[in-house]
Amino acid sequence: MIRIAITKGRIEKQVCRLLEKSGFDMTPIYQKDRELLIETDDGISMIFAKANDVLTFLEHGIVDIGFVGKDTLDESDFKDYYEILDLDIGKCYFAVAAYPEYRDKEWKRRKRIASKYVSVAKKYFNQKQEDVEIIKLEGSVELGPVVGLSDAIVDIVETGSTLKANGLEIIEKICDISTRMIVNKVSYVFKKDEILKIMNALERKDDENA
Amino acid sequence: MEEFQYLIPEESSDAIISNVASLRKMEGYLRDIFTTYSYQEVLLPSFEYVDLYHNMDIGIEEERMFQFINHEGKRIALRADFTLPLARLYVTTCENEVQRYSYFGKVYRKEKKHKGRTNEFYQAGIELIGQKGTVGEKECMEIILKSLDCLGLKNVKLVLGSAKFYKRLLELVDDPNMEEIIHLRSFSMMKDLVRNKNIDGSLKELLLILPSSIGDINMIKDIEKIVEDDILKGALNELIELYQQQSIKDLSFDLCMVPSMKYYTGLMMRGYSPYCAQPIISGGRYDHLMHHFHKNVPAIGLSYDFHHILHALEMEEETND
Repeated sequence: MIRIAITKGRIEKQVCRLLEKSGFDMTPIYQKDRELLIETDDGISMIFAKANDVLTFLEHGIVDIGFVGKDTLDESDFKDYYEILDLDIGKCYFAVAAYPEYRDKEWKRRKRIASKYVSVAKKYFNQKQEDVEIIKLEGSVELGPVVGLSDAIVDIVETGSTLKANGLEIIEKICDISTRMIVNKVSYVFKKDEILKIMNALERKDDENA
Repeated sequence: MEEFQYLIPEESSDAIISNVASLRKMEGYLRDIFTTYSYQEVLLPSFEYVDLYHNMDIGIEEERMFQFINHEGKRIALRADFTLPLARLYVTTCENEVQRYSYFGKVYRKEKKHKGRTNEFYQAGIELIGQKGTVGEKECMEIILKSLDCLGLKNVKLVLGSAKFYKRLLELVDDPNMEEIIHLRSFSMMKDLVRNKNIDGSLKELLLILPSSIGDINMIKDIEKIVEDDILKGALNELIELYQQQSIKDLSFDLCMVPSMKYYTGLMMRGYSPYCAQPIISGGRYDHLMHHFHKNVPAIGLSYDFHHILHALEMEEETND
């Protein structure tokens, strides 16, 4: 039995579709109603959870495999996993965004940056050797500059339409994000073959594009 | 104050482990084995200078130590590791002779909050100092084998790795991302690296299979045939030689094993239970650690983590019910 935790929502749909394409029976998953734990006939047990919880389950060895966005991995201080595959789906990126004036403004005080991703923001400005004040917002981070709480934001950008609608621009791209397959280290020792079978099933997409 | 009356701080694990009895029993077994091999038990201080750990650069970050400032104005840490204090004990009391130490006690390291991890680890272990070459490796393997019999765990996998192999690999590839790629065992990043750096031939072949390189002795033999670099070949042959010399046939090898302590130089040993997300046994050869004390003394050691072993035992019992 291989135990998998998937981030609910878009990642769940995309990963399940990929698995189905390579021959796994996903009907029990598609037919699920509100159950949070499903077992398939291929010997897979799947749970559906919030991104950060996927990491927690994996860390405790509750699941062998997790599917999460790179954004979640970057923000977490838990690093005790293998990140064996970049699924190349759910692509987007971290960026600094602000009103255009941000670029040329001379700063006489610490800049204020709003973000849901405090660690990512901190690391980025540290690398730039800039000392900034970071304010954590839980959602609609664009509000930061709009209401005047912050000078800029660090956030995930997919299409950029929310930024645009609020007059904000991308100041600098920080790094790429996509969905990753992560593996509990001890599971890899005991169940390597089963894990690699699933990885290969998901990797096949690569060759199709090539 | 009332709200603190019934809670223990997040840092502590429950003081009374429900299975103290089995803990003490295991301790007894291990002590017997260590004594048979003439290991001398030492009781080490609970407090150490932060600088002892810091200057050695062993991979325990300062922020993970519990610290206070003493009357000299020096930073003191709760013992974060046994190997360093024992190395100090050795250099202050011994010339280059062979010395065997064993220890039982706790180490303290800060772990992440709210993740169900404790900050105190009850360990037992041995250090064999002054013994070089495969003699020490063989002895450690024998001790592990004997101890597995009495710990009562049914399902433990012993995995060996090589710090020599790991370090040479980093040198050969010479890329800032290589360390992370091995850490993450990332097939995707490894492919990109091989492509971007135009790595060819046997090194390319090796790198592409590296993330999947956990296996038995045949895997090591197969990879030994691929490898061309002398140092890599040497590291693999050491593993093969060790395998042939001892009696555990169900050994696994992991060529992506990352040294958990920076001071490892050769063989690395880890014991895993499927019920425990961290290794229950870990150790390795550390021939360069004594350089920090201006001595050139080879050494090897290993430690048992009781907290994890107890957890694994409990889980094994539960699943059998």
